[in-house]
Amino acid sequence: MTAPGKAGRLGAALLDAAKAMLVAFGLFVVMVGLRTDVSSSGALLLRTRWMDVALLCAAVFVLRLAMALWVRPRLPAAGSALLGTGLTRAGLLFGPALLAVALVLPFIPGIGRYELDLGILVLTYVMLGWGLNIVVGLAGLLDLGYVAFYAVGAYSYALLAQYFGLSFWICLPLAGILAAFWGVLLGFPVLRLRGDYLAIVTLAFGEIIRIVLLNWVSLTGGPNGISGIPRPTFFGLPFSMSGGPGTFAGFFGLEPSPSHRVIFLYYLILGLALLTNWVAIRIRRQPIGRAWEALREDEIACRALGINITNTKLTAFALGAMFAGFAGAFFATRQAFISPESFTFIESAIILAIVVLGGLGSQIGIAVAAIVMIGGFELFRDLDEYRMLVFGAAMVVIMVARPRGLVGSRAPSVLLGERRRIDASLVGEGRG
Amino acid sequence: MSGATEEAGSEILRVEGLTMRFGGLLAVDAVDFAVQRGSITALIGPNGAGKTTVFNCITGFYRPTGGRIRLRRADGSVAELQRLKDHSIARAGVARTFQNIRLFAGMTVLENLLIAQHLKLQKATGFGIGAMLGLSGYKAAEAEAIAKAVDWLRATNLLDRADDAAGALPYGAQRRLEIARAMCTGPALLCLDEPAAGLNPRESDDLAKLLAAIRDGTATASAPTSVLLIEHDMGIVMRISDQVVVLDHGRKIAEGPPATVRSDRHVIAAYLGEEEEA
Repeated sequence: MTAPGKAGRLGAALLDAAKAMLVAFGLFVVMVGLRTDVSSSGALLLRTRWMDVALLCAAVFVLRLAMALWVRPRLPAAGSALLGTGLTRAGLLFGPALLAVALVLPFIPGIGRYELDLGILVLTYVMLGWGLNIVVGLAGLLDLGYVAFYAVGAYSYALLAQYFGLSFWICLPLAGILAAFWGVLLGFPVLRLRGDYLAIVTLAFGEIIRIVLLNWVSLTGGPNGISGIPRPTFFGLPFSMSGGPGTFAGFFGLEPSPSHRVIFLYYLILGLALLTNWVAIRIRRQPIGRAWEALREDEIACRALGINITNTKLTAFALGAMFAGFAGAFFATRQAFISPESFTFIESAIILAIVVLGGLGSQIGIAVAAIVMIGGFELFRDLDEYRMLVFGAAMVVIMVARPRGLVGSRAPSVLLGERRRIDASLVGEGRG
Repeated sequence: MSGATEEAGSEILRVEGLTMRFGGLLAVDAVDFAVQRGSITALIGPNGAGKTTVFNCITGFYRPTGGRIRLRRADGSVAELQRLKDHSIARAGVARTFQNIRLFAGMTVLENLLIAQHLKLQKATGFGIGAMLGLSGYKAAEAEAIAKAVDWLRATNLLDRADDAAGALPYGAQRRLEIARAMCTGPALLCLDEPAAGLNPRESDDLAKLLAAIRDGTATASAPTSVLLIEHDMGIVMRISDQVVVLDHGRKIAEGPPATVRSDRHVIAAYLGEEEEA
């Protein structure tokens, strides 16, 4: 370094240290320099400790100067690299840690009925988010009527159980298949549309399903909904408070407790959510998953490569709808009562917000977003109507700070050598 | 040359009476030409001559108003391209690149090349369920696809960028990647829309060598591939094409080897303007 540069740096460092000392003096002169004491006669008296203030200010000056001259020049490179690797390592551990907490949650002391119910609710939205992520995050199709498939799943289970007496375990796959069927049925005419037009039509579809459910009173009970939906059994063993030999508690020789069913429901939705996650992760590494992402990136290039756009979009739509159907069947069996009230547009909006907030295409981001959105909403219950305000403000802040969601980089599906970062700004958002 | 006198088997593509009308505008008017197997054919002409329209008809992005486009594959089967949808044309063996590069920008270079081999890979997955459970021969198929991709990355000098996002590559590399992606579909005919646009002289040189190697089948282990290109860079056109087709105002005005076309009166008139007639 040249002499003037060095002198300039010294000057700047001295000035910086002097400023820091001034701030320290301002603080310490009242906090340390003046002290009230009780004298032996009982009266208050002011004691001054100017010496201590001088020592403190000198220490601040010396330390600040040392930092500016020796520590800071080496800090930026080493500091950010350290922070970077630390964050990556924490990121790698974060997913498994979250999963571990989810797995043991019902047995953590202090977790009661309320917390478990909240956990079930959050996991339902995690699952819906992961399902919608296939459609919006991977294939880039903006679907504003996702709740329609959730409703199809819920009503499928409720009606099949009511009219044919089928058990939950038979109805679960049927609900998924029926929802996927409706996904394809809706998909055929509308997938020619692109971007905003697709969003509007899916939005309308969501409303149509809800209005049909509301008005087809003879089948669905209309606004009264369907009640008395059979609760799930533990592979044939009902959760009954009687504790008889044919019940869950009786079979395993446990004290009958209402928490058994809640814990079972919790693990059921955890399993379903993990299934969704597993399928989504596996399918991303397969030709069809890559084709979805390619579709999001550039539809015309896909056509030039011989990829059948319509079929590819339909599979994404059907798969996304199927997971919504599973979640719907679970919802019905948990609530034991469903009505069209539960399937309004706001549900679609919340699920979409979770996907967008989490970072399009990112599994862990969506899980965190669901916890924050649903859990946070519960947390701020005491704020009453203000929580909407808090909530909206939080979303605005996140979208300004991280416009591509919490997890803003894309993980490649296949590697030749070592992984390099793909910045989110390169990744398409999908207009198809 | 004239297509009629050539033996039919040596032609890979024959365009007959191709007409494309956009409302009242006749963009392409009864154009005939042929692409010989194992040749590089250039389609040239002034701006607005209808080159890209012809191109889009061949690659299925437009459906022609009239005429026939026949692709004769190596096994002798003939595909009538004017009847096919775009993705079926790609399946029939016509690959293309775009004037304004269309890569999957957020995906890695390797992923781009694997998507090009989607059909073959998808077949190997057994409707996705086999591969999902890790049962089928999908792993072998994927390894094969990656090997093919690596071959093309080597041929286009992109191997060290395989795991980078395609959108992060420099412009010239993106052009080469688009060609590699088109070749990974295993086409019989490669259609390039202005591949040299925006390249510097050295990159253009490399491109010329690459195209010649693709024609001769020496770029990788794959078979020789015929090339049809639109190009404005006359240096490249004259150097590498075996045949040149000149369009002007939607009509073919000349066809032949580069040397012949260069001295053709109509071509000079179309490019430089006609002398005023006395």
